[in-house]
Amino acid sequence: MTWAARIPPPVFDGEPPADPAAASVLGYQPELLRAFQVLYGTLWQRGVVDHATKEVARLRNARITDCGY
Amino acid sequence: MTWLPDTAAGATPFARAFGLRPELFAQYQMFAELFWTRRPVDPVVLELCRLRIAQLLGSATELAARRPEARAAGLTEARIAALDHWRDTPDFSAVERACLAFAEKFTLDPHGVTDADAAAVAAHLSPPEMVAFTEALAVFDGFTRFRLILGIEADPAR
Repeated sequence: MTWAARIPPPVFDGEPPADPAAASVLGYQPELLRAFQVLYGTLWQRGVVDHATKEVARLRNARITDCGY
Repeated sequence: MTWLPDTAAGATPFARAFGLRPELFAQYQMFAELFWTRRPVDPVVLELCRLRIAQLLGSATELAARRPEARAAGLTEARIAALDHWRDTPDFSAVERACLAFAEKFTLDPHGVTDADAAAVAAHLSPPEMVAFTEALAVFDGFTRFRLILGIEADPAR
């Protein structure tokens, strides 16, 4: 599945954002992206579950759902 | 009742469970509410898809909830009652049908989403709307599972 082919990438005035997420199709919704990144940042950087456990769960989830990203 | 041994203070069962991580909960609320307050997608389409995902995942708590934004935008209980057989009724518009089909595959078989499925949605939604719509599906699907797995009861009618 290639979402990049299903949604055309956003066009920016000048240089695209340095943040790869903001330069992707997620950049179409910058307010949603910022709010998600705040949430996700807390989850990973200030979480109460140790990082190794979260990463193992994330990778296992990716494998089960066959998500190459 | 949730099987969590402790819960936080909060107005709803969801808040009492998620409130165990207050910072995360506050940030989740800010993110999730944007789909309704900023209206990047028609709230009726979003609510129909939220409820359809709840049906597919067997979440009575999510099915009991209603978003007031969708009600204010004209979504009726009669149409919600028809949601479990939406393919067989004329009660749903072309955009609603495309989005419901997409939401069903998103929930049950994401690898089964075809270019034709995406094109059917893209015929009605702009690229920014499609991004917001797909993000909303991720929130609905993920947090319906969150409620189910933690055994969180329905919130009072809203």
